[in-house]
Amino acid sequence: MIKKIFKRLGLKDKLLGLIVPFLLLIIWQGAVTKHLFSELLVVPPLTLLNTLIELAKSGDLSSNILASLNRVLIGFLIGASGGFILGIAMGLSPIINRTLSPLVKALQQVPEFAWMPVIILLFGIDEFAKNIFIAIGAFYPMLFNTYLGVSGVPDKYHELAQVYQYKSHRYLAKVILPSALPSIITGIRLSLGLSWVFVVGAEFFGTEAGVGFMMISGRQLFQIDVVMAGLVVIGTIGFLLNYVLQLLEKKLSGGRVAFDGGIA
Amino acid sequence: MNISKRTKSVLGSILLPVVLIILWQYIFSAGYIASAILPSPHQVIKTFIIHFTENEYSFHIISSLKRVLSGFFIGIVSGFLFGLFIGLSRTAEKIFSPSFNAVRQISIIGWIPLIVMWFGVNEFPRIIIIAAAAFYPIALNTFAGVRNVPREYVELASVYGYNRLKLITRIILPSALPSIATGITLALGMSWAMLMAAELFIPTNIGIGTRIQIGREKFNMALILVGIITVGSLGFAMTSIVEIIAHAADRGRILRKEI
Amino acid sequence: MSVEKGTLEIRNLSKSYVVDNNQLQILKNINITFPSGAFVSILGSSGCGKTTLLRIMLGLEKQYEGDALIDGEKIKGPGSNRGIVFQDHRLLPWLTVGENVAFGLDKLNRKEKKLLVDDHLKLVGLSGFENAYPSNLSGGMAQRVAIARALANKPEILLLDEPLGALDALTRMYMQKELERLWEFEKITMIMVTHDVEEAIYLSDKIVIMSSRPGVIKKVIDIPSARPRDRASSEFMHIKAEILKEFHLGTEYPFAYAI
Repeated sequence: MIKKIFKRLGLKDKLLGLIVPFLLLIIWQGAVTKHLFSELLVVPPLTLLNTLIELAKSGDLSSNILASLNRVLIGFLIGASGGFILGIAMGLSPIINRTLSPLVKALQQVPEFAWMPVIILLFGIDEFAKNIFIAIGAFYPMLFNTYLGVSGVPDKYHELAQVYQYKSHRYLAKVILPSALPSIITGIRLSLGLSWVFVVGAEFFGTEAGVGFMMISGRQLFQIDVVMAGLVVIGTIGFLLNYVLQLLEKKLSGGRVAFDGGIA
Repeated sequence: MNISKRTKSVLGSILLPVVLIILWQYIFSAGYIASAILPSPHQVIKTFIIHFTENEYSFHIISSLKRVLSGFFIGIVSGFLFGLFIGLSRTAEKIFSPSFNAVRQISIIGWIPLIVMWFGVNEFPRIIIIAAAAFYPIALNTFAGVRNVPREYVELASVYGYNRLKLITRIILPSALPSIATGITLALGMSWAMLMAAELFIPTNIGIGTRIQIGREKFNMALILVGIITVGSLGFAMTSIVEIIAHAADRGRILRKEI
Repeated sequence: MSVEKGTLEIRNLSKSYVVDNNQLQILKNINITFPSGAFVSILGSSGCGKTTLLRIMLGLEKQYEGDALIDGEKIKGPGSNRGIVFQDHRLLPWLTVGENVAFGLDKLNRKEKKLLVDDHLKLVGLSGFENAYPSNLSGGMAQRVAIARALANKPEILLLDEPLGALDALTRMYMQKELERLWEFEKITMIMVTHDVEEAIYLSDKIVIMSSRPGVIKKVIDIPSARPRDRASSEFMHIKAEILKEFHLGTEYPFAYAI
């Protein structure tokens, strides 16, 4: 009877997935109580939970998260809109594509963090520099996915637009963009995800607020619980951003799973 | 004169970079911008030559390559084994993949402060970070490759009485190869990107990232640009090599399919 | 010279491609008039250039010798006086059925649009489906929406490029009846490309038989029979045999048995 309920809920599988976290918790707690490691290097799970609660209560957590999200949003908007516009231009015009793609490919070879010294030298380490740094990271996935979507509009839709004499903005709005939409949404998801990754890195370079700042100052003050709390926050927000956009992606491309005439 | 289509397209491709470089040189020569902020192409090339003729720079390059390759190999070997393991065993997948997927949500850069606190500022945490960056894509792609082996192939193997080892080496791995190759290419890109983060956030005296950082401290943009060009070209060269190998692996599969 | 609206004329039309320095003749010296209000089929096996001919009439192909005239004027490109139904329904998957039908009605206001869409969905028997998405329709329904979209523009001529080619045999016969009904209702010229002999006989006033390489008109057959036509009648069979003979598929006197 109990077995049946287990099976129906897929509980067995879920329990299996809990083995590793559970063992880790035991080892972790055990290591702390047996004083295998210094309290400075490993804090017990409960302390971490307490730290998270205290950070949340004091408002530190939310103000740091908001500071980071604010940077992400601005950097993402700058980088992704640049990538979007350029992606459309390169997708629509073979001439623009041929002219720009070698340059884009060359610049793309440069690892994101190698730009940081350049940006700091040019703009200092203020807010604007961080926005630019995030924008560079957000730019590429948006550019590539928009380009793929736009250049991948099937010929048959181009023909249809020609027959019905669709031109310029009407053509773009009614045929090209809707057709490229799933790819563009993928671009937004990847682009936003990378922005969230890079904001933490940008904040390591020095700032007064943000999740990355919280972790770096935690490290300097040897508050390992704060550093670990930062990890939990990074993971949770990264997961949520990805999850929400993936839902959107599925929803928007849901109505048009490869369809070319079904059974009569 | 009749210019062929190919020549035209090549000319089109190099047109913009050439124009940009000329413009760049012009802006500098006209004295609009201080050379600390934007050095002239001529200055960059000079710095480039000076650095590459002295032994020290190649030492930095080799050190960075060593660093990235150690991390990369540790990452792909462990990632491959892990991906294979959870790919082959559904129980293992159920046990490990929830934790794996949870940890994966934390970007690797985020781990840097914690790892530095644990292991100090030395080579070990740098390599760990690079290895972790390589681990995820190879693990995910190996897992996907193993899981997507067509059922028909597995049935064929059982018809011919293959044992488990033979099934893995003759059917599952060859069939998963293209996916694994993709994972390796992605892993290399990730390692290379993380090398810069490792050298910047876990300070060291040796490495290209360090040279770029020194350029910033000395307000020497030419030095920074030389570093960036070096990093970009090396990354491109390494990715190309891996892509060629991956492509060859893929072609091998097509050939085998035809037989 | 005035011509009745809905007349399409092809005069001395030839078209060839150059492939690897070899001239490949697609259409050769085509001369034909499609009278206003008639249903004409262009019948031929694949590769005879019949679809190319249709695309010339539509205005998508512009490179050819000779003339293609609509109502006495040269065809310069696609225009709203010609509608098209492709073999694939080519409905845009991100638009609803209603929005798809209104695709060519952009210049009208919302009310006029709705009126025309409702009218034409009713005409093809799909009232109440205007908010459905193409992915929820069967192949036959999707093709009916495509026909509604073409007719909503009030064309003088409807071009049909193997419109029923993707449907199963029973749906196909049903849709042939529907096409006939629509033709009689709209009283416009319809030009259909097909490789289905029975379909051509069932629907057409006139059948243009084409042969391949190069595409030339082999024979034009007028079919005066009363409508609706009975596929099992001896007259129908007789016409069918006559057409099949043109394709060397006649069964009456196979050479080997003709003693």
